[in-house]
Order: sequence, then C-alpha cells, then structure tokens
Amino acid sequence: MKVSVEQNGLLSLIIDSGRQGKQHQGFCQSGPMDEEAYWWANYLAGNHEGTPCIEVMGRAEFICDANAHMAATGRSVLCTVNGQSVSPFETIFAKSGDRVCIESEHMGSKAYLAIQGKWCVPTPLTSASTVSREAIGGLENKGLPLAAGDKVNIEAPTLRSAHRALATEHWPQYDLSEPLALILGYQEASFSALNKARLFSSEYKVTNNINRMGYRLSGTPIQSGISKMRSEAIHIGAMQIPPDGQPIVMMRDRQTLGGYPKLGSVSLLDVNRLAQTVPGETVTFISQHYDDARAAFLLNWQKRLRLTGE
Amino acid sequence: MHPFGDIKQIVPAGLDAILLYFAGDTVDIANARCQQWQHAISNLKLPWLKECVPAYDSLLLSFDAYKVDSHYVYQMLRSLAAQETTMSKRNACADSGKAHEIPVWYGAETANDLALVGQKTGLSEQSIIDAHSSMTYKVYAVGFAPGFAYMGNVPEALNCARLETPRKQVPKGAVAIADAQTAIYPSSSPGGWHLLGLCPLNLIDTSHNALLKVGDNVTFAPISEQEFRDLHEG
Repeated sequence: MKVSVEQNGLLSLIIDSGRQGKQHQGFCQSGPMDEEAYWWANYLAGNHEGTPCIEVMGRAEFICDANAHMAATGRSVLCTVNGQSVSPFETIFAKSGDRVCIESEHMGSKAYLAIQGKWCVPTPLTSASTVSREAIGGLENKGLPLAAGDKVNIEAPTLRSAHRALATEHWPQYDLSEPLALILGYQEASFSALNKARLFSSEYKVTNNINRMGYRLSGTPIQSGISKMRSEAIHIGAMQIPPDGQPIVMMRDRQTLGGYPKLGSVSLLDVNRLAQTVPGETVTFISQHYDDARAAFLLNWQKRLRLTGE
Repeated sequence: MHPFGDIKQIVPAGLDAILLYFAGDTVDIANARCQQWQHAISNLKLPWLKECVPAYDSLLLSFDAYKVDSHYVYQMLRSLAAQETTMSKRNACADSGKAHEIPVWYGAETANDLALVGQKTGLSEQSIIDAHSSMTYKVYAVGFAPGFAYMGNVPEALNCARLETPRKQVPKGAVAIADAQTAIYPSSSPGGWHLLGLCPLNLIDTSHNALLKVGDNVTFAPISEQEFRDLHEG
C-alpha cells in the first residue's frame, strides 16, 4: 500500500520510538515529542509498539491506495475522512482513496497519525526517526521531512479488524494548570535556595524559540553559581540555565553534549505535556524526587496495560 | 548515592539516568578513569542500559526505567568497583585508543582564520601550523553533532577564545581550535571556533560510524591543496 502525502502542513516527520545506543557518537535520541500520544496512536491503529508513524504540525492530508486502519492522537486533534469528522483516539477504518486530514487545534501542537502495517522505510542506526540536522532517517534516509507528493510504502497484508478506542477520560492530559514535575539533579548544588525558590514560585512563558531540540522559556531569571563548566551529556528533559537565566528544556533532538549548568530534569511524563505547549502558554514547576517520578511513570505504564487488556 | 573510589560525585539526571563524575588532578586522569568505566560498563552488555555517554570527566548512564531504578544501577557500579582486579587491568590499557593521522590543508580558502589567530596569539602563520601539527591529541569526548570529537590539548601559545559571534556556516571538514581544544566539523554547521584549514576525510562513514572515538589519539599532518583534492572523500 502506498500512502500519498497530499499536504505536509507545517512539518510532517516520520518518527518512531527513537535512536538508541549512539549518543556516545553524537547522534541524538530523536523519537516522538509526545511519547504518550505516539504510543496510543500505534496501539489504536493495531500496530506493535515502536512502529513508525507521522508526527504532524499544522494541517496534513494523506490518501492511501488501499483500505487502511489508522488512528489519530495528540493534543486537541481534529481528524476528518473525506471531510467528515472522525474521533481521535480510536481506530479509523479508511477506504482506498479516502482523504484523511489531521491537525491539532493549537497551531504548533503535534498530532500523530499511525497506520497499520509494516512500514518499508530505512532504519539507520536502528531507527526510522527523521533528524534534519543529522541528515538521517525519513523516507530516503536524508533527514528530510515529508513533502507533498511523497509516497510511504506500508505492507498491510491482512488487516486486523478489531476496533480499538480509548475512553475520553483516559486521553492524555494536556492541562497546564498542574505544574510540570522537575527532578533536581546535575549542577543543582550550584543554585542557591533563593534561585530554586524563584523557579518553583514563578510562571514561565513558552517562547517562540521552541523546536525539537529544546523549549526556551521566559520568566523570572535564575542563576547558578557556576560560570564555566566542562561539557557533559544531556538527558531528555534537562533544564539548562544559560547566562541570561532563562530556562531551556532539552527535548528529543537535543545535542548530545552541552556546557550550560542544569538545575534538573522535567519528568518523562511531563516532557510530553511540555512538548504540546505552544508559544504564549505558561507553565509552572514543582520539585519531585526521582523515586516518586519513577513511581508515577510506572503507574502510567500499568494504566496502559490495564486499558489495553495486556 | 554516595560517591566511592574514582567516582567523586553521582547526581540524578531524571528518573531514568544518573551522571557520574570522576576524580583526577588533571582532566587527563579524570578522562582516563571515565573511559575505563565506560569500557567496563559497556562490556557487560547490560540489557537495561540505554545509553552510556562519556565526556571530559563525566559519564551519563541512562536506563530502562521499566526494568531498573537508580538504586539498582548504583549497586551495580559498587559491585563492579569491587572487582578491583578487572578495573586495575583496565587502568593498564587505558592508553590503548586507536591512532589516527589526519591530513589537513592548512589555510584553505574557505576555512582560514590564520591571520586572526596570528593577531590574537602573536604567532606567524607557519608557527601556528607547526604548533597545531606538532602535538598528539587525545579525543576526550564525542558529541554536539555526530562524529564531532573534542580533542586536546592545543599548545598554550595557540590558545584563543571562541569568536564573539559564531559563524552561521562552518564548512564540512573544517579543522578548528577554541581555548585548549581542537576539532574537525563532520558536516557543515554553525560554529564559533577559529578555523585553521580543511580535512579531506569523512568523519562519519556511510553506515553512520564515527571515525574518531573517545580515547583515540590524533595527529594532524599538513598537506597541499593538490593532496587535499586527491584525498578528498566528498
């Protein structure tokens, strides 16, 4: 089956769970900005975990040349088939030639389109994920985003017909009134109690300067006592504090090493929530111990298992 | 998580990673210890280990949080350290990185800050080239971009700070210096280092393997423009 890209929106990328084990050679992690939505998209489309899907910003449109089982997920996702609205977070049974449209109501939030079958795309260094800066992944393994006219080859010999749906109350929560959990770490000791108190008691605005590498926030500046440090590895969610005191949260396509002091890490679950914010929205932070953060992470996993009956 | 042995500090890096810092009076000692640990840990082929990323004096371990937690990883490190014989054997062969001789067309038109470096250091262009190509450099860390190797140490006479405004575009293969570090840009990218010349080799091969790895030793050999064109890998 060929999936034809009719419109690519602002940015449509082939993404899977990410590239593992190559950060020591400088290749970034990549993978879905919102892992929760990505995971559900594949489950609801009847795919195995880790199957590639399309991460869409803006409004994208696709046509399959065969019947296809799909699912659309993300934050406030609108999905239509031939102009008729269909629900996100449940299996979509599209017919050959149907025009499938997907977008988030929020310009800049990500929507995920999973399509059942085996994706015949290159998997350099174990992953199909597209990283433009590294010229790796994507349809031709050149790091290029999907363009109108591209065709993705997906083998779907026998479609499993089960309809899968996630009840609305279990959809991922993107509400920003709850603070994002920050696990103190890295150069935490170099930030005074006053500076930490400032971070945890202030609102930070999501700036225009956000991309797959990092999200720059603006608000009460905070300072570390360090002026110079050696570059070191940066893990997902790390909060860097450059000299201007405005936090940058490092995301999926972050560079592997960096030399700015870091106060800690946004918890994995809340990285998803932050990834779906758009410029102008505000976020707050709350301190969380890494053991508590892992407990919350495991509970979320158990919830997935319970809801999917596995 | 209390530090022990060569490890002077352990800090959390999220719910699924910890960062180790190594003791050492010089960065070379700390870096050698970091590499010993990286090798020892990588050799165990731990199924729950996702990434093991060394830098100058630090090592990031990220793990599968579904399988283990920070405390488990910490206990693994303690028991690894307890096998002292293994570690001390590794101490002995810490210097066994691969040796590379990297050809450089110094002063190549698209990567030539020799005059600027001359102004900042007071050295003639030839002395800059001689100084840069006289040393054997160690790869301390690989990162920032695929295959970008941070190497040191550049002779003190040649040390100069980064450009105040980074360049939007540094050409692929540019050989550059900043403070005591030298590096080769594996692909065209923005960059704030001073450029000395061009290297004709690809630093990432077609199967995405980096030529230079942490612990390797690197020397630079001056070549002519003609030799550069003959060796150029595209």
